[in-house]
Amino acid sequence: MKTSRWFVAALGAVYLLGFLVLGSALFRLQCVDTGEFRAGLKQQATRRIRVPGLRGRILDRNGETLATCRPSHCIQCNIEEFQKRGAASNTVAAIEDAVDRLAAAIGLARPASLTRARIERHLEKRSAMPLTLWEDVDDAAFARFAENSCDFPGFEDVTIPERVYPRGQLAAHVLGFTGRGRPDDADSAHFFEPDMRGRSGVESYYNRFLVGVAGERKVRVDARGFRPTRQREAMMEADLDADVAPSTGLDLRLTIDAGLQAVLEEQLAGATGAGVVLDPRDGAVLALASAPAFDPNDCVPRIAAETYAALTNAPAKRLQNRAISESYAPGSTFKPLTALAALACGWLPDDEYDCKGVYVLGDLRLHCWDRWGHGPINIRTALQKSCNTFFCNLGTAVGTNAVIGAARAFGLGSRTGIDLGGETAGIVPDNEWKRSAYNERWYPGDTCQMSIGQGMLLVTPLQMAVVAAALANGGRVFTPYLFARQDDAPPPEPVRTVPYAAADIELVREGMRDVVERGTGRRILTRWEDPAPGTSKRRRFNLKVSCAGKTGTAEIGTGATRRKNTWVIAFAPYESPTVAMAMLVERGESGGSTVAPRVHAVLAHVFGEEETTASASSGSALERAD
Amino acid sequence: MRKLFAKIRRMDWAMSACMVALIAIGVVFINSAGSVRPTETLRNLWRVHAETAAVGLFVYMAFALLDYRKLVDWAATPVFALSCAMLVAVLFVGTDRFGGRRWLWFFQPSEIAKLAVILFSAHVFAAPGRSGFRWFLAGMAILGGPALLVLAEPDLGTALVLAPSVLAILLAARVWTKGIATLVAAILLAAGALLWTVDRAERQTDPERREQIYRYVPLREHQIKRLRVFLFPDTDRSGAGYNLRQAQISIGSGGVWGTGLKKGAQKLLGYLPPSVSMNDFIFAVLAEEWGFMGVLEMLALFFGILASGLRIAARCMDDRGRLVAIGVLTLVFCHLYVNVAMSVGLVPITGLPLPFISAGRTFLVVLMAALGIVQSIAVHDDAEPSGEDGPEE
Repeated sequence: MKTSRWFVAALGAVYLLGFLVLGSALFRLQCVDTGEFRAGLKQQATRRIRVPGLRGRILDRNGETLATCRPSHCIQCNIEEFQKRGAASNTVAAIEDAVDRLAAAIGLARPASLTRARIERHLEKRSAMPLTLWEDVDDAAFARFAENSCDFPGFEDVTIPERVYPRGQLAAHVLGFTGRGRPDDADSAHFFEPDMRGRSGVESYYNRFLVGVAGERKVRVDARGFRPTRQREAMMEADLDADVAPSTGLDLRLTIDAGLQAVLEEQLAGATGAGVVLDPRDGAVLALASAPAFDPNDCVPRIAAETYAALTNAPAKRLQNRAISESYAPGSTFKPLTALAALACGWLPDDEYDCKGVYVLGDLRLHCWDRWGHGPINIRTALQKSCNTFFCNLGTAVGTNAVIGAARAFGLGSRTGIDLGGETAGIVPDNEWKRSAYNERWYPGDTCQMSIGQGMLLVTPLQMAVVAAALANGGRVFTPYLFARQDDAPPPEPVRTVPYAAADIELVREGMRDVVERGTGRRILTRWEDPAPGTSKRRRFNLKVSCAGKTGTAEIGTGATRRKNTWVIAFAPYESPTVAMAMLVERGESGGSTVAPRVHAVLAHVFGEEETTASASSGSALERAD
Repeated sequence: MRKLFAKIRRMDWAMSACMVALIAIGVVFINSAGSVRPTETLRNLWRVHAETAAVGLFVYMAFALLDYRKLVDWAATPVFALSCAMLVAVLFVGTDRFGGRRWLWFFQPSEIAKLAVILFSAHVFAAPGRSGFRWFLAGMAILGGPALLVLAEPDLGTALVLAPSVLAILLAARVWTKGIATLVAAILLAAGALLWTVDRAERQTDPERREQIYRYVPLREHQIKRLRVFLFPDTDRSGAGYNLRQAQISIGSGGVWGTGLKKGAQKLLGYLPPSVSMNDFIFAVLAEEWGFMGVLEMLALFFGILASGLRIAARCMDDRGRLVAIGVLTLVFCHLYVNVAMSVGLVPITGLPLPFISAGRTFLVVLMAALGIVQSIAVHDDAEPSGEDGPEE
């Protein structure tokens, strides 16, 4: 025989060697390195999805809810259940078809946003995520879906939180609103669920506190990036890493008093303007309103283009927070600052100036609002009567720099630093500013204008509220704030104390009390009620506490565009003020007639009012004034 | 009739049992791999496998009962000629599938050619006196003709398993041992040189220089790619190295006990490409779902077939029988080895089915026929044991 058994045996040995090689290689793969390969499987088949935390609430100082979340029912499509072979368009067609049938069954219109292109993009970019069809469906449609869901496999309902502002327009400009957006930290995950993101107001400023900490959900994906179908998922063992639960955002307690805010807004209703109420002891914002306002509920979950256009349209510009984002000439409400500047420069309380009704400086002729003139008056009376010529003269006498210094000392011309976005600094003009803005030098007339709060000087209502608070508390300028501090936190320090003597400030305060008691701002203190039918006596109501204030009427423009922005700054109670405020109404008549009654109503809400007889009231007021 | 039963009794039952067990495993895993496929036809391929196996069993029994000597003497030459003709025909009228022209009507001529070449070589070299350089050249021609035709399809895998089988027959028949040893050494050297060249080329940073080197490498684009993946498995995991990487993850993540039947995540999620998971990469599915224990079971069954076959070859006192058995067993072994080794990454990826388990009708029937012939050697071993091996020993 040619062949031998030895060869057969040798061949057997070769086979055995082959088996040993294979066996040892497989042993290494399956018994030694198996963990490494399992990790590889997990890595390629797992997608991390960022899950936002529940957004925190926003409360007023008494714990009333101003913004919270409500459940919103959504219907979504698990696209993996509709996968078809071949081109992606087959799957798109299957999804569209199924959605149409579902829409007919539950009586909803097919969502307008569900275009072919959107489905295609979703299949391509977000294949591991369900496709949201209807958001925030009403209860009836949701019930119909629940009844029919057995007939429509692949569709699912989920409940997501949606922002809601239970008080509607209340404090809209403070709260702001949220939109949907890609969160900042979304990049570390493969996919993200849309998160609420503050777009304005404290929703935006304190977004980081409100959003909470996002969690992470893990889903399995197949080689094409889709989640496995329910049926296939059931065939596998769950070996995904544990999900990370999100944590709820912090609740934000504001210094806002909802009741006071409501009154302030009520007083501004129908007007265009703004009002700010501060606690002069620490700068807490008790109320801040801008009119006309908007309802933030119209802006969630995301602001529609037409809504946005409607809300930003001039002249109403409802989204604009006039209290901080727009600046106006302060008019006569600036006069207390001019007075302080003069007193600091050596003007004596009893120094008099003879008001003849017009102030002449070169070509400039500045009329006092009293055409016949106030006659010889001192500084306190000039404040009470808001005499323009007196303060023009005063400003010119003490010089530009002293007036500018007073304005800056009270924080005008720079942002107050309130915890809201979009604040403007206003303008305190000086020589350099005028040169760069108008390429003109500073004229004495500019000083004159500025002394009575006109000309190029521009301030925000919030800045004037800070001025009112500083006058109220004896010269301490605080940063206004909205985020209520903890009860045990140290009270905030003033950013600065104005460099004026306490006696000078007291003199100005007394002048401002005269304003409300017998000057231009009497309607801050007093409300006259029209006589009841059949009687002829007007009833009058005074605030239960003494107060002080200053009116202002700033004239802007000339000719046809001539208009008046009307102001009041006020604080109360006079002796130890707990409330300081500023209010502005655009296109008003005068501070004393347009704004003062509104301010009275706000202060009456805080301190109450009582009916008085004319003599008793003015008598007691005079006594206290002396 | 009694003669027939006597013949059946003389069959090697261990081999039959191992073979049936492996086919059963094949049915189970074709079912498992097919369960994730989208069409009914593909999901039911396991049934086709079982039906083919039933037909195959008849073929197996028929070849077992047929005297292999008559087969080798009378049928080897015409079958060889016919299969060569079919290999030529498939190049012209064959059906293109999966990037190769391999199908003629419902079968693959290259699978039949495997058996035809083995039978014909055994027929040629069993005759006494056929040794020396000239007969070695004849052997090379018998191997080379079909191998080149198969390569033209292209089907590198078949050519690769055919060569060791024929070489084993030539070695066993002592046609020209020195020459064959030299040839094997030369092939190994050439393979080494090829790998070294590809390695050098891949390490070139200058792409032009790389192009220049590749101009001297006698391989196709996709073959070079496979060698590259073999040499540098981590460089292109999402491209050319994807299949290997996914097969390794499947096998490795199976661990000792496996995920359980039908539960393999790699298969369910489609990371192991579904297009190959029933054929060339079915071992990865098995390894994932049955783990190392299942793999050992499968290897043991294969070893059972090979050991029984070798015992039959050793007992056979006829050169024809021994040569046929050696050729068939080496063919099975090479299929098994290359298929498993490529899934693990020990050899470059070549499209080769796993015997008895991979879906594929022609190959299954041919394999069962081949093992039937080996059984026939056991059944028809009626030569008197003449002391030791033979006069030439």
